[in-house]
Amino acid sequence: MNKTIEYIRPADINEAVNFLDLNGNNTVTIAGGTDVMIDLRSGEISPEYLLDISRLPDIHGIGMKDGLLHIGAGSTINIIARSQDVYRFAPSLTKATETFAVPQIRNMATIGGNVAHCSPCGDTVPSLLVHEAYAVVHSISGVKHIPVSDIASGPYLTNIKKNELISSFVLKPVTDSQFSNFEKIGRRKALAISRMNMAVILSKSNNGTVDFIRFALGAATPVSKRIEEIENFLIGQKPVEKILWQAGKKLADIMVAISGRRPSTIYKEKAVQGLFLRLLHPVINCK
Amino acid sequence: MYNNQIKISLKINGQENTVHAPPDISALALIRDILKLKGSKEGCGIGECGACTILVDGKSVNACIMLAAQLDGREVLTVEGLNNGEKLSIEQNAFLENHAVQCGFCSSGLLMSTHALLSENPNPDQNDIRKAISGNLCRCTGYHHIVKAVGEAAKQSAGDENNE
Amino acid sequence: MKEAMTTSIGKSIKKIDAVEKLTGKPVFCADFGFENSLVLKVLRSPYAHALINSIDTEMALKISGVKGVLTAVDIPGKNVLGIINKDQPLLAENKVRCIGEPVALIAAENEEAAEKAMAAISVSYEELPAVFSAEESLKENAPVIHEKGNLLAKKTIARGNADQEFQNCAAVIENTYTTSHIEHVYLEPDAGAGYVNDDGLLVVYASTQNPHYDLKEIISLLELDEQQVRVIQTATGGGFGSRLDLNLAGFVALALYHLKQSVRLIYSREEVFLATAKRHPLKITMKTGADKTGKLLAIKARILCDTGAYGSYGIAVAARSAVHSAGPYSVEHVDVESSCVYTNNPFSGAMRGFGAPQVAFAYESQMDLLADALKIDPLEIRQVNALQNGSVTITGQKLEESVGIGNCIEAIRSHYKDACQNQFIKNTRPYQKRGIGIGCMLYGIGNTGTKNPASARIEIDQEGTITVFTGCADIGQGSTTIFTQIAAEVLGVTTDHIKICTADTKFTPNAGATSASRQTYISGNAIKQAADKMADTLLDQAASHLNADKANLILTNEYAVITNNPDKKVSFSDLAVSLHKKEDDTCWHGFFDPQTTPLDENGQGAPYATYAFACQLAIVSVDTLTGEVNVEKIVAAHDVGKAIHPEQVKGQICGGIAMGLGFALMEEFEPGKTISMKDYHIPTSIDIPDIEPIIIESNEPSGPFGAKGVGEPALIPTSPAILNALNNALGERIYSLPANLERVLEACIKSGNFEPKENDNE
Repeated sequence: MNKTIEYIRPADINEAVNFLDLNGNNTVTIAGGTDVMIDLRSGEISPEYLLDISRLPDIHGIGMKDGLLHIGAGSTINIIARSQDVYRFAPSLTKATETFAVPQIRNMATIGGNVAHCSPCGDTVPSLLVHEAYAVVHSISGVKHIPVSDIASGPYLTNIKKNELISSFVLKPVTDSQFSNFEKIGRRKALAISRMNMAVILSKSNNGTVDFIRFALGAATPVSKRIEEIENFLIGQKPVEKILWQAGKKLADIMVAISGRRPSTIYKEKAVQGLFLRLLHPVINCK
Repeated sequence: MYNNQIKISLKINGQENTVHAPPDISALALIRDILKLKGSKEGCGIGECGACTILVDGKSVNACIMLAAQLDGREVLTVEGLNNGEKLSIEQNAFLENHAVQCGFCSSGLLMSTHALLSENPNPDQNDIRKAISGNLCRCTGYHHIVKAVGEAAKQSAGDENNE
Repeated sequence: MKEAMTTSIGKSIKKIDAVEKLTGKPVFCADFGFENSLVLKVLRSPYAHALINSIDTEMALKISGVKGVLTAVDIPGKNVLGIINKDQPLLAENKVRCIGEPVALIAAENEEAAEKAMAAISVSYEELPAVFSAEESLKENAPVIHEKGNLLAKKTIARGNADQEFQNCAAVIENTYTTSHIEHVYLEPDAGAGYVNDDGLLVVYASTQNPHYDLKEIISLLELDEQQVRVIQTATGGGFGSRLDLNLAGFVALALYHLKQSVRLIYSREEVFLATAKRHPLKITMKTGADKTGKLLAIKARILCDTGAYGSYGIAVAARSAVHSAGPYSVEHVDVESSCVYTNNPFSGAMRGFGAPQVAFAYESQMDLLADALKIDPLEIRQVNALQNGSVTITGQKLEESVGIGNCIEAIRSHYKDACQNQFIKNTRPYQKRGIGIGCMLYGIGNTGTKNPASARIEIDQEGTITVFTGCADIGQGSTTIFTQIAAEVLGVTTDHIKICTADTKFTPNAGATSASRQTYISGNAIKQAADKMADTLLDQAASHLNADKANLILTNEYAVITNNPDKKVSFSDLAVSLHKKEDDTCWHGFFDPQTTPLDENGQGAPYATYAFACQLAIVSVDTLTGEVNVEKIVAAHDVGKAIHPEQVKGQICGGIAMGLGFALMEEFEPGKTISMKDYHIPTSIDIPDIEPIIIESNEPSGPFGAKGVGEPALIPTSPAILNALNNALGERIYSLPANLERVLEACIKSGNFEPKENDNE
């Protein structure tokens, strides 16, 4: 039984999507490669083709265009963590990427891979969700936009088709008056898969009530997602500790409703309430 | 057996090299088994321990979870490329002088992370150092002497630059 | 005048093997290989408990490239391993007792063929009911794991009348503590290699803590004699106890025996997790009573050690957990029983401390609870009870000297006071609680009440080159380096004049295991004795050379010199030449076996010749919203007798603390669930706080230059210090390790710290 595997490095994105159109079902795409090599080693995957897209010029670069923040899907976590544009327009993503895994992984892993892999624990996803990001997706039929919220259909299940490729993510930037934050919990201080993570963008009106909020929860539900009930609950409220604590409790109930009860729920339903307060604690006293 | 091999050209520790390798092996397998450089270690095989840390175009990566093919056209530095013959590099010497080696299995990877840190940040504080080596697990030392050694290496290399 | 010189002792010289490791030389077993080596793979049981009806290897042998498939029937000698009690087959015979138990050994020309052969072997199993807890295993109808029964051993310590004495106590505390399976996670996965030389000698290279034990097991397995096998320790990437078992040297030797071709066997990390020993999970029920001054009057403990499928070092763990159950304190009335029980879990063996870290968690928690009940400061209650020179231990052993626990506690006192004063000042973040905790310990150096000698040899050749020969395996801790310091000190030379040959059964005498924190003390003494003999001969020889009185001579800088006339001297090389000419002995032997007595049926005796002591202070902060713990600082005072190499001692202390922190907060091996390093977390550089190691030197008269040991002691006080600090922060105690996110958050909730307080953030 001879196993063959071929390595292909396309010159541009058209060549890549043409290849995927023909061979997508037997192809594994490599950007950072951090998950691919692990899956090859364990025998989890045995593709016929390895399509290395990491050097495609079309998937690199970070910058503002037409008032939106564009992040190339091939950007490594480290490049994002150090990007001034990301820091200014999506600071929660800076925080998520700065604390992502460890330096070696940050230098390899890409944001495209983090999203496309659909791990429920992906640390970049909650930030992308609160920025209402969409993915720019290429195939031989052309280019389409898929909201990041529609990419994962379940843990490690993606709606990106085998013949499609994400080239970039487009985020709505924060304004100077908006507060933004990211928090997570891991079993140790580095090199830990998040037990839960969350991101928020929020602003207050002149009377101190919340007039804008987007909030997303990750790792505690099968797919990371915006929790609109919480957003609606907080709109118009003064985000004092008591209210945030109530919102956290509500969030815990929603999480349990989505994920069901399992042994880990005993911890998670409390921690999600606690982490929510930590996430938003800075807004209590700020203007 | 594989019936196809790919050509990988890389500059490793300053030397141009072209090798033929199966397309699905790791960068670590290429370095250890084909190039016979045994300084980079396999401690976990899944990017969790950092014993295989190498620098690719100056950036630290875990060679065990990088595809060998990804090294094509790149410049690679392994622990063997740090010292110049008998003369230890600043990092190696600082590890030696500061008793940062116990079993030594994590040392190569730690040296590479140290090298990457110092080339980006010549004046790291304790916190920077601990973060920079957080991807390199050590079970023997508790990191105490390693953190000290990295700090000393930084001082040393800053001193060297001033002299030049 | 004869100067009291310490040219080498107490100096932190460069570690002997550091440069080769820092330059990436191929020193580890996986780094080198022999021409045309066959790849070995081990087929393992998928069942926790099953009969093996048959093993069919025919298909596997037909695969191209497969050179052999070996099973139990291919073992010519005794198919049973174990250093203390022999109960573990190299390859399962008719029954498997845990998941991962080796069933067949495959040798093939390459990985692919070996993998295919693994899949092609057909083993017919008949599953048996299995048991996974020590308590269940002792029940009457529990599945029988070994024919002799599921209770492997019970160790008792009985002294006075504890039950009666509890009635005289002002406070009595009783609790049950549990700890989890722990994986060693030495960074180097196990590896072995070997070849058969032209004379038919089986040469086995292994990453091991005890090459001479490996040799004994191999010759017993293969029914060979000692001259037919040579075991060489390669650079060993940590051990922490697991490499005291015959992890893979037996497979290498068996393949060499049958195939007469060079072989190599390298475990993946996953296979290390599956195949090697774990730390015993203990369940400890402890009752401790004290009078109103805090003086301990009685202790009672019932300890269950889950040794899994095989004994390995289980009996030692049962013995040590009992002997160490009162910690570094005096107590008159003692009633302790520690039982070691078989289950179908992975086998538990030696791990840094042999049960002492687990019982320290219990006895130090009890000390804090007593302090609280009696309104005594936690540091004071420890000092009140601390053993002193002249104290008697719970095994009835009178400790004459080198009892440094009091000094360790005093060394911590000022740090403790500062911490107490700053505790609330630094409480700056909301939803954060800070706490301070103390942990103390004693630890017996060497094996428990049994002989555990080491031999050593020292030679001088015609050029005057001095070489030390020791079987001691340096697994990273630095024994090789300090042995050169000991020899150099005795012989009046610098360490670079001492060559050393270690851990090769062909050339080195048996030094016993690198375990039980014993090598500095025991092999150190053996080497010192050999060096003393050599020095004596050199002085004799020099006296006749120089026509001087031997008493007026000293050895310095490779010369024998007349003290009051330094110009009159003779070089070592000249002395060596004349010794060689006269065909005098140029080789000196040293031997040391610590003075111990076995424990009697009441656990009374002198199980160790000396003890190490320590006191650690931990400062922690807890995020009360999530249960995340930050260990902010650890101060660690360790009585090591004498630090021969202070920085290596500190290295042991800091490394032990890191392992203790993992044990306290995050490490748990769940059989069947923990597969790879993704599932098992050891501390990273960010998890480890600033550590302040303090060396206390109490001078052990029987130790080499006063030295005792520090390897295991370093880890033991850390988890109790952290757990006591958590309790101090939250006002709620955790009785099970690890104190992970779940348990800490639960403690936050129970103690009312989870709910935000009105004023916390105003």
